[in-house]
Amino acid sequence: MHKSLKEDDTMSNNAYLSQGREVEIFKTAAENNLPVLIKGPTGCGKTRFVEHMAEQLHRPIHTVACHDDLTAADLVGRHLIGAEGTYWQDGPLTRAVREGGICYLDEVVEARKDTTVVLHPLSDHRRILPIERTGELIQAHPDFMLVISYNPGYQNLMKGLKPSTRQRFVALSFDYPAPDREVVILCQESGIDKQQAQQLVSLGGDLRRLKDHDLEEAASTRLLIYAARMINAGLPAREACTTCLAQPLTDEVETLAAIERLIQAYF
Amino acid sequence: MEEFVGEIWHKLITRQARTDFENARVHLASLQPQLAPYFRALGGESGKGIEGADHRVFNTNRRLVQRMAGSHRRFAVCWQDERSLRFPDSIAYFPDAEMNTSLYFWLTALAAELPQIKHWFVDNQTATLKLLKKRPGLIPEYQRLADAFILMRPSLVSLKGQDRQREEAIQQAIKEPGTIATLPIAKGDPIPLPLWVYPAPLHGLITSSEDDLEDQGKGNKAEENLDSNRKQAQRFDDSKQTDGLLVFQLECLFSWAEQVELDRCQEEDLDQDLSSAAEDLDIISLSRQRRAGSAKIKFDMDLPAPQNDDLPIGDGHRLPEWDYRKERMIQDYCLLQPMLADDALPSPVPEHLKNQARSLRNRFSMLQTNRQLQHRQLQGDEIDLDAWIDVKTQPHRNIDNQNLYINRDNNHRDLACLLLADLSMSTDAGLNAEQRVIDVIRDTMLLFAEALSATRDPFAIYGFSSVKNKQVRYQLLKNFAEPYNDQVRGRLQAVKPGFYTRMGAAIRQSSEILKLQKSQQRLLLILSDGKPNDIDRYEGRYGIEDTRKAVLEAKQQGLQPFCVTIDEKGNDYLPYLFGDQGYAVISDLTRLPILLPKLYLNLTGTHA
Repeated sequence: MHKSLKEDDTMSNNAYLSQGREVEIFKTAAENNLPVLIKGPTGCGKTRFVEHMAEQLHRPIHTVACHDDLTAADLVGRHLIGAEGTYWQDGPLTRAVREGGICYLDEVVEARKDTTVVLHPLSDHRRILPIERTGELIQAHPDFMLVISYNPGYQNLMKGLKPSTRQRFVALSFDYPAPDREVVILCQESGIDKQQAQQLVSLGGDLRRLKDHDLEEAASTRLLIYAARMINAGLPAREACTTCLAQPLTDEVETLAAIERLIQAYF
Repeated sequence: MEEFVGEIWHKLITRQARTDFENARVHLASLQPQLAPYFRALGGESGKGIEGADHRVFNTNRRLVQRMAGSHRRFAVCWQDERSLRFPDSIAYFPDAEMNTSLYFWLTALAAELPQIKHWFVDNQTATLKLLKKRPGLIPEYQRLADAFILMRPSLVSLKGQDRQREEAIQQAIKEPGTIATLPIAKGDPIPLPLWVYPAPLHGLITSSEDDLEDQGKGNKAEENLDSNRKQAQRFDDSKQTDGLLVFQLECLFSWAEQVELDRCQEEDLDQDLSSAAEDLDIISLSRQRRAGSAKIKFDMDLPAPQNDDLPIGDGHRLPEWDYRKERMIQDYCLLQPMLADDALPSPVPEHLKNQARSLRNRFSMLQTNRQLQHRQLQGDEIDLDAWIDVKTQPHRNIDNQNLYINRDNNHRDLACLLLADLSMSTDAGLNAEQRVIDVIRDTMLLFAEALSATRDPFAIYGFSSVKNKQVRYQLLKNFAEPYNDQVRGRLQAVKPGFYTRMGAAIRQSSEILKLQKSQQRLLLILSDGKPNDIDRYEGRYGIEDTRKAVLEAKQQGLQPFCVTIDEKGNDYLPYLFGDQGYAVISDLTRLPILLPKLYLNLTGTHA
């Protein structure tokens, strides 16, 4: 899919099916140099959306998958030692600020709290990035855009995003696509027929009802696409669903047995 | 002799009359944990529990032998009301255990599709059709069940007239649902259809939940032994004191089920065999007249006199409560009263815990949070100039030393923990010869506090119990600000079992307190011994839903609630309250004092 994105620009319209007006909103924010915050559950298409928008806006994208050891230096850059002595190496954020493009911080709440503070001068009217180690003050490239995303599931909520950080963004909230759209997405992404896609989507809908009681997280669109691809590749539907939709979601034996039954109710 | 012959005859005749397949019997209890998520996934109301159903009387045409055996009069069928979904306790309808299991799942799916029944015969058919259309995978299974079902029905040849027409209609409705619009009328009730969901019984028992005078002392032992299937309940108006004329057919003898206007209040020994008596009943009649059948007076639930009670702090906080029926918060419904045991004397760690406390302190003191810079690392934020100079000045010594960076210690923890202990009356129960549950809870709190004070993580300990919404007693044992010292130890050792468990209010208050902590991770640890309950309407689903709401609120505020329970049946309701990963059931209570600190480490992601 990535390949087709880059090969053909007209394809990219199909590659992301908008859920609402998020494409227009994102474009407007980009034109006005405003940073964007995207929130939504796992696998609902946040990253795909940002990639699609980068394509649309013809801007390069610098993606950083944040983890809990990510420090400010990892974003901004650091001094390294080479054969000639020390030299400065730009981090992904600094590179995006200098050269222009979308800097996309995926799952930003995973990063340490102090990390997000470096984003503050970049995400308000100043649009600057001060680098204290080198004493530089970089004015952001006109094409620079900051996009962060996170999943407001409770696991991340306990880390949370500082209110002072959140306040600097235009926020978009994502959810799993509506069933009829999800069917279209499944068909496009995997090539299975519509009837099977419909069954998969309503199975996904059933599984999503279990969120918060029996499952920590609901079956994502991504998982449904995985299952659809496996089915399309010739794996029996039941097996594909078990491996893609039951096992990845829980380890609980009883819940697994219930999900197995549920799968049997569809395939 | 008479009795012996009678017994043999009973055995013989019941065996003859039997239509169940004993070898293929499947029990609800073993399937329940699977049925509950299945029901929820198919769109059933998520707060509904699953329970055993009572036997209902069906006036069917019985065979002679069945009539002689007195069987096939009462059947357990699947039905639901707003509180829970009821299934027969066990199913042995089909000769194959797998089929009987399938039947449970089928009924679950059908019940999820059919939350309310207006017309039993039509609604079941339409729901079956809808279900099969939505979930085509169920078609072969339904077909199998339907085929087997037809075989189990009385053959059409043996029936005549209206009976035959009706049976034909039923079989057709099962074979091809949606094809029969009306059920032909015939004498008596048709033999129950195990594939269908039945409406809730007409004369349901509505308990008036806001009754103030409810006399609910500690249940009699015999009451607790009743198995889970429920009895039909009927309420009689016995306020009239005139003894009316009893009209009955002479050929029926008085059985247990008939309501007799006889004052038995004084017969106190009747409760010896309550459970077997209850087993024999079709209907348990409840009288509204409130005269305790027993002369025992229960003092223990009275609040202690003010001079003996702990010191109340302030006028209390008004907290909201969630009413799931109205789906809204009732503002200022609970009055939560913080209490302080001001007369508890300072005391050191009790003798029997000293060794454990010392070793825990030692282990946990290693976990003190210290943010240090780690020098000479392979990777890091800054260049370690000392290392760099070393390499430059002594190239012969560290020729390919790459560890030239300074890194910040990642191992730090920024965590506040509030331990909320359930001090309800049930903790007064004996655990073994020496210990009560409360003793273990007390030891657990002490050791937990010892361990945490060694880590220097901020922590607080509160206990709670309640007497209705008017007094939720919130015991302050240690707050975040005060240091852990003998004063606190004394208070912890002075805790005693309180009243009931209004968990929602206690969780809400704890969230308020914990929310003020500035730590990155905020853990709300709840130590409990059972379901939320109180003597007003706060029991069953109401209590569960309110607690769940309080837990969700806590999560939304960025707190991490976690429940540690000793209730072995906790697996039924805890996932609904705290989520899949949000609780732990501890089966061996005596190990709790040691397990809790360990659990704390797991939860906080630190490794000792």
